[in-house]
Amino acid sequence: MTPLSGWLAGIRSLLAPAGIHCLICGHNSRPSARLPGICAGCEAGIPWISRPRCHKCGRHVGCPDCSRSGQSAPIVCNRSAVAYTPVMRDLLGRYKYRGHERLAPLLGQMLDSAYLQLKAYIEHLQYPPQVPTEKQNKYHFLRRKTANLTIEWQADLLVPVPVSDSRLTERGFNQAERLADILSRLRGIPQLPLLIRTQHTAKQSFKSRAERIADMKDAFAVSPDEQVNIQFSSRLSTVKASGRPLQIIIIDDIYTTGSTIRACAGAVRLLCAGYGIEADIYSLTWARS
Amino acid sequence: MRVGVYTVKAGGRWKLCLSLCPELDRLWWSGCFLGGQTHMPAERMVMLSESLPLGWAVKLWEHVGSHSAMEKWTARSWHACMKAVLNPELREEEIAGGMLIGDWFKEVAEVPGFTDLQDGEGRAGRMHLTGENAGTPVYLDNLSRAADLLVSMLSGRSLLQNEVEALLEEQAADAVQQWMAAAQLAYLQGRLTLGAAVASGLGSRTEGWAGARLGVVRTALRLPQLLRRGAARRRADMRCLRCGSAPTGRTPCAACGLACCAYCEACLALGRSRACALLIRSAASPAVRAAAAGASPTVAARRWGLSAAQAGAAGAALGFLAARGKRAAGRGPERFLLWAVTGAGKTEITFPLLDAVLSAGGRALVATPRRDVVLELAPRLARAFPAAAQAVLYGGSPGRWIPGQLTIATTHQLLRFYQAFDLVIIDELDAFPYHNDPMLAFAAGQACKRDGVFILLSATPPRKLQRQASFGRLPHARVPVRFHGHPLPVPKHLAMNPVHLCIRRGSLPGGLLQALRRSLARGAQIFLFAARIAHIEPVLVLLRQVFPEVCIEGTSSQDPFRSAKVVAFREREIRILVTTTILERGVTVPRSDVYILDADSGLFDEASLVQMAGRAGRSKEDPAGTVMFLSPQWTRSQRKAIAQIRNMNTIARRQGYLKGEGHQ
Repeated sequence: MTPLSGWLAGIRSLLAPAGIHCLICGHNSRPSARLPGICAGCEAGIPWISRPRCHKCGRHVGCPDCSRSGQSAPIVCNRSAVAYTPVMRDLLGRYKYRGHERLAPLLGQMLDSAYLQLKAYIEHLQYPPQVPTEKQNKYHFLRRKTANLTIEWQADLLVPVPVSDSRLTERGFNQAERLADILSRLRGIPQLPLLIRTQHTAKQSFKSRAERIADMKDAFAVSPDEQVNIQFSSRLSTVKASGRPLQIIIIDDIYTTGSTIRACAGAVRLLCAGYGIEADIYSLTWARS
Repeated sequence: MRVGVYTVKAGGRWKLCLSLCPELDRLWWSGCFLGGQTHMPAERMVMLSESLPLGWAVKLWEHVGSHSAMEKWTARSWHACMKAVLNPELREEEIAGGMLIGDWFKEVAEVPGFTDLQDGEGRAGRMHLTGENAGTPVYLDNLSRAADLLVSMLSGRSLLQNEVEALLEEQAADAVQQWMAAAQLAYLQGRLTLGAAVASGLGSRTEGWAGARLGVVRTALRLPQLLRRGAARRRADMRCLRCGSAPTGRTPCAACGLACCAYCEACLALGRSRACALLIRSAASPAVRAAAAGASPTVAARRWGLSAAQAGAAGAALGFLAARGKRAAGRGPERFLLWAVTGAGKTEITFPLLDAVLSAGGRALVATPRRDVVLELAPRLARAFPAAAQAVLYGGSPGRWIPGQLTIATTHQLLRFYQAFDLVIIDELDAFPYHNDPMLAFAAGQACKRDGVFILLSATPPRKLQRQASFGRLPHARVPVRFHGHPLPVPKHLAMNPVHLCIRRGSLPGGLLQALRRSLARGAQIFLFAARIAHIEPVLVLLRQVFPEVCIEGTSSQDPFRSAKVVAFREREIRILVTTTILERGVTVPRSDVYILDADSGLFDEASLVQMAGRAGRSKEDPAGTVMFLSPQWTRSQRKAIAQIRNMNTIARRQGYLKGEGHQ
């Protein structure tokens, strides 16, 4: 390369649109408008679950699990942001096991889209859309405003699924807590580490479905941390006044059989029963396998 | 992780130590473990902190030296000293929302039981320190045996905590139960170094007056850095000690409890290296002297079946190996470039070198950029050196922790070694990913012993090395001729429209087709290199129209059946293979001709043109292949590539290596 062509290349790069080093594909290319840190091409390839087939567990394909277990599940419903494809598995693996923590804002932002879906679903259940009458149309402008105020649903609390202490020191962070943190900042919902893990279970990814479900029984307990309990009861008192059930969302990175989520929800339900308050428990995960 | 930090006064000097297991340190400094090693029992011991983030502890260790006034220091003085050293970190932590500056270092305390040592109280009197059965002779004995085992398994390694655990699990099963205590003992004995994986790159304390002077000079030279203060300056100085990159990530960390613990994003694929991650390295040992006996070039040539040109280069390299002892050690490993043309038989030339080092009891490493080369090389080397224990390492290879006298690895695996090898051979140093990756170059530098030797192998060394070699700054040997003793085919140029134009017009130029017909007629296999993957498919279509009876295929990096197609091409089932630079190296097909389309493309530099041209005429049966550059323009890269090939042929002729032209 001659000096002149070097200069020319430099000048051309000044005029070129700003590219970013994409966190998924590693190439330098045009950044995505919606998600931080990835290119537009990779954004288009994300397997969003925009229309879950199973309204209970938020799965994108037919789901025998929810129809199989007849008993009432401790959670109202689950929503996940993406399907757990190999690309997504690789992405999560890089974040969780390799510790590429720069991915956290991206994953958190993706989880936010699952939150919006959950919100839309609950609002749809509670306030089914009404056929607009002529009268409503007439005062359209005012009506819409008041209607919106009653419909807005918001969760009261985010509870991340805990990891065991030994895993926490090994990894340096709890991925569910980091995700909850980001969502909490985006949506203004407080997050509390209400639960702790009582048993150090082996990695879930090496186990069968039956093993997972058996393992998860009594794996979680309420955190003995005073500070957390004080914050929780102060949060309770604000909700109690309104007279509606407490809206709690459990946050995790992945929903596979749902045993982790259900065990956590059971623990949270016990806690709420102890305080004598009703709670609707939902769950949000980044991926659904 | 968090570790303990304490200072001891032993032999009149104060010394700051890290501790993974403070109990053991108390035992050690009270004078246990006297059998075998001699060390001074401590006169005083001050525990500075039971648990401090590792990165900070290492910084204290680097910066706190011995001072005569320390004798009189109180807890408050030690407190002030630590605060002064760690001031930037403390401040950064407070800003990031962690603990306040005032809340640190509350637990400085003199360890009792050492001050009365001068009274001549016996060893038994000091044993009450631990108050457990930890001091029993059996325990100590077991521990020192475990430490010996640990040191031998970690020799030449640079491993993170979880890697050590994985290694012990695979190699020692349960032999080393409390490996942390064993590692601590080895550290106290000076046989292992404990450090943080991300730290200020000093590695060890600069000692004495010379160190201080060096520091002053360095500061003077980097004057602008004085303007940078606090965190910014510290960040610039931090390095990942494993890969040499500057750590770019900073996150709260549950392992050390800091709100901003730095980690390295460059080498995440080999396990995360961060400021509080324990990096365990073995203490460096001097390199072996390669045996001069039996290393004579002629003997080696006969034993390994080398040609005259190969033997000449091997002799020069052996001479370099033997002369190494006379040079001053301490300036780092020395490099030797082996510049051998494509098809010269580079691997065979390295055999005498490996033999010299292995037979002297040293450890050798052959690093290549690609996994398939590792897999191809391993059996050949195993056959050549059946006596040497071989370790084969690549991403996801089985037996990652087998200790080997002869290691064959991809370049990324070098990150796990530290001053391990007497001889490091780097194959194809100009190829991806080694070329232009400072991380891998750093790793290679770390893997070689300080007084070891680097042998760089290449057919097309980078411009910088070529210049160093021609100015005599880099010792080197050239192998200007192929193993069969015939000259390299010199590329011819044929003017042709750019490929995209041909594709649009739907016809290939007559000159190219005629040349292809000639090649097919003489029964040659044809490599057709295209600059872009997108060109492969349309060119295939055009060629199939012209040669309907010939099997023509295309392949690229995105082709899942690439290796199968290359095999079919070698077996002569496919006659014409249209491909990209992906096949420019490492493919040997007997009786082949090479055509390079768009040879003026910026994607083909001098090195890749030489490499592609090097695919032709590699076999003894058909040493003269056709190489053709097809392009509208005659570029500098093409001219230089041809000049390089001609130059090598001229040298070969002058030295009398060419067959049929007689040996002088």
